[in-house]
Amino acid sequence: MKGFVFDIKELSVHDGPGCRITVFLKGCPLRCKWCHNPEGLKPKPQLMVQKNGCVDCKMCYKPCNHPECKPFGRCLHTCPNGCLKISGKEWEADELATHLLKNAEFLSLTGGGVTISGGEPLMQPDFVIELADKLKGVHKAIQTSGFATQEIYKKVVSKFDYVMQDIKLVDNELHKKYTGVSNEVILRNIEWLKQSGKDFILRMPLIPGVTDTEENKAAALKIADGAKLEFLDYNPLAGAKYEMLGMKYEL
Amino acid sequence: MSKILREFITSKKHHTYRKTVDEINNMAEEFASLGLSPKERMTRRLEKMLSLQEPQFLPDEKICFLRTAINIPDIFTKAEWDEINKKHHIHELGYMSNLSPDYESVIAEGLLKRKETADEYGKRAIDAIINLADRYCSEAEKQGKTELVNVLKRVPRYGATSLYEALQFFRIIHFSLWLEGNYHITVGRFDQYMYPYLKSDIEKGILNEASALELLEDFFLSFNKDSDLYPGVQQGDNGQSMVLGGMDKDGNDAFNLLSDLCLKASANLLLIDPKINLRVSKNTPLEVFEKGSILTKAGLGFPQYSNDDVVINALVKLGYSLDDARDYVVAACWEFIVPKVGADVANIGALNFPKVIDTCLHRDLENCNTFDEFKSAVKAEIKAQADELCKLVDNLWFIPSPFMNVMMACEIYDGGKYNNFGFHGTGVATAADSLAVIEKYIFGEGRITKAELINAVDTDFENNAELLHLLRFEAPKMGNDDDLSDNNAVMLLDTFGDSLVGKTNCRGGIYRAGTGSAMYYLWHADEIGASPDGRRKGEPFGTNFSASLFAKLNGPISIIKSFTKPNFEKVINGGPLTLEFASSMFEGEESIQKLAAFVKAFVDMGGHQMQLNAVNTEKLKEAQAHPELHQQLVVRIWGWSAYFVELDPEYQDHVLRRQQYSV
Repeated sequence: MKGFVFDIKELSVHDGPGCRITVFLKGCPLRCKWCHNPEGLKPKPQLMVQKNGCVDCKMCYKPCNHPECKPFGRCLHTCPNGCLKISGKEWEADELATHLLKNAEFLSLTGGGVTISGGEPLMQPDFVIELADKLKGVHKAIQTSGFATQEIYKKVVSKFDYVMQDIKLVDNELHKKYTGVSNEVILRNIEWLKQSGKDFILRMPLIPGVTDTEENKAAALKIADGAKLEFLDYNPLAGAKYEMLGMKYEL
Repeated sequence: MSKILREFITSKKHHTYRKTVDEINNMAEEFASLGLSPKERMTRRLEKMLSLQEPQFLPDEKICFLRTAINIPDIFTKAEWDEINKKHHIHELGYMSNLSPDYESVIAEGLLKRKETADEYGKRAIDAIINLADRYCSEAEKQGKTELVNVLKRVPRYGATSLYEALQFFRIIHFSLWLEGNYHITVGRFDQYMYPYLKSDIEKGILNEASALELLEDFFLSFNKDSDLYPGVQQGDNGQSMVLGGMDKDGNDAFNLLSDLCLKASANLLLIDPKINLRVSKNTPLEVFEKGSILTKAGLGFPQYSNDDVVINALVKLGYSLDDARDYVVAACWEFIVPKVGADVANIGALNFPKVIDTCLHRDLENCNTFDEFKSAVKAEIKAQADELCKLVDNLWFIPSPFMNVMMACEIYDGGKYNNFGFHGTGVATAADSLAVIEKYIFGEGRITKAELINAVDTDFENNAELLHLLRFEAPKMGNDDDLSDNNAVMLLDTFGDSLVGKTNCRGGIYRAGTGSAMYYLWHADEIGASPDGRRKGEPFGTNFSASLFAKLNGPISIIKSFTKPNFEKVINGGPLTLEFASSMFEGEESIQKLAAFVKAFVDMGGHQMQLNAVNTEKLKEAQAHPELHQQLVVRIWGWSAYFVELDPEYQDHVLRRQQYSV
């Protein structure tokens, strides 16, 4: 079956053990105000324009006959500096697995593997399951917000060797305010994860004034209850990609 | 580390001791009028240069010898050079460079012992060197530098008995070789030949790790005292390459405490000399790669890695003995040479791969009905170009350097044990990608016509925006693990190597093909206009063995897969895969282990040589705008590192245009 991917990053070193390839799935039910992958939010193709290579030649505004350019009103095949790209590509699980497995030797040599991230992988559970089943012999990790029904969460997570589970805000009202959704299902899934026997880590992005409060950190530590909890420093370049998408970064 | 000494040298305060001696400037005319032989001239000049040096000690300095009389006059007049050039091919400045002297025996034996077997000229050179050392010794005595006096009473006359003596001895030799006019003199397997002194000092309680590191740092600083006086294409290109680790003569991993201390000294000092190379193999423990990665993180572009498994095997296939091959070092940049007995000229010329494609595009493409036919034309042109290169370097002549000859384990000017010539191969990726375009779009899909491509290249894609986009950004690229480009690269390199097989050079050696570019990535790019891979006129090629500058690449894993495909035994002259990582890659505790694993995987997958740079583009841009604030910012150029602000703008721009991989 088909899945929707916005990036495949080689040699990601912050996404699990060893050197990894991370597949970023497109589409996310959350709207975290600090999100640094805004192209991962919408489950449809989006035009990204790299502003710092643009010489304002207007070539891309000339009408063209490419069907793939139609939805965007810009020609994707004329920019002299290659500034335009479509974020979001459909992959057959089979095809993607083959592509990733080409690097199996490298991944095993470095004690790494494949990480499925997003967006939110749990938004495309059947695709993720099929992909994971096809990635035989490769260490598999998943990064997730945990925002899905417990049935889906269990089904997907059980396919992975390592789970990187976000815990953003423990206070539900704040969670709703800053991510747009309630954290009830997330916390329930975390409870399940803790007793599942899976190798996992909880991760909290430290967003100044939002998640990095003492109360929030303490509450997360309490939930972790001795399990691994990693605090991730805020990336000051988090807003970099918003302009490329014609979006505004709110933080 | 002595902060005082480092600060003194980096702020160039020692330059106040320098003088230019005008009276020696017409030395060549004097020699010519006396009708002196080249060897006699070289000896007289060295004697004179040594006598003109004035002993100076820098604050806090342990290892002395500083160039004070800085101008080295020519030994031939212009008219004589014209005559020489008529009769001979002259390589660069005329000296046999890129040699790795036999420091090991000389430092162990002392110059007096060496003098016994030296010729008349070598003997005079040795006397003149000892004379300057004695003057240093007297001056040290006057200034109450007891420790140094003791060292100089022993070396360079006699063999060293401690690490301090050995390091001071090295400095005297290195200094004298430069003063003789030689350049690109490499440091060789320093951690191997110096280790016995360290080991013995530690056993005797003379040194511990901390004091040894301090001494070593003082010694490392000595490489930065006169390096701006050395001839090179750009500041920093001075050949002071140090090789660490690798296998010993029995094939065991030889990384030792001194190797470790050298990596640390380099990371502590953050200076561009000496250039650190690390030999590794399948048997090298991951821990060694981690130590190397710590140095990479420091941002000097060191260490450069080379893979013993690949290099040694390939050198043996070329005819080097197993012992010599196992002892290989790198020349000024990355050319693999043999120390002590090797008299190879590893950088004698370069093949311009994209020019080969350009020639065939214009001459042969119209007449080819299949891609195989075109490929045959390319192969024939590579062979023709290789023949031309060999002809160009025929009848080579060197200025004989008597002291350099003494410093080698065999006579080199009349033919050393190895007398091979090495050629670089520039722009492999540009050429391979160009071939992939022709294979895929002309002969495969029929999407582009021959005339269309030729016309677009000739007009620099001025009226072909869509074609330019296709070729530049959508076509196969070497570095994306795409067999279309990669197989063409393999073919190009195989042909280059094969076309030199069986040829004998004018010194009786063979020719070696390589994957390096040196400065040719700029020079050769100017010899052609645009290229079929969408490279526009005036755009440089990638440096050394790397992807095209504008290629949109999947990432470092695909890159090392592409760049480990070639048959390196056919192209083992040297030339590293060059990768730039954004400095953000090195944040986080685990980044060192992961980088180490990455390099080890490259080695396990059969790569031959790799150079990794940690780059902070924002910082470089800021340094371009405000050079005065970033005097110490270091970047890697091709086989060496430089202070960014001292580079010519074209080199600065190239660094900024290279691709970076972040996490």
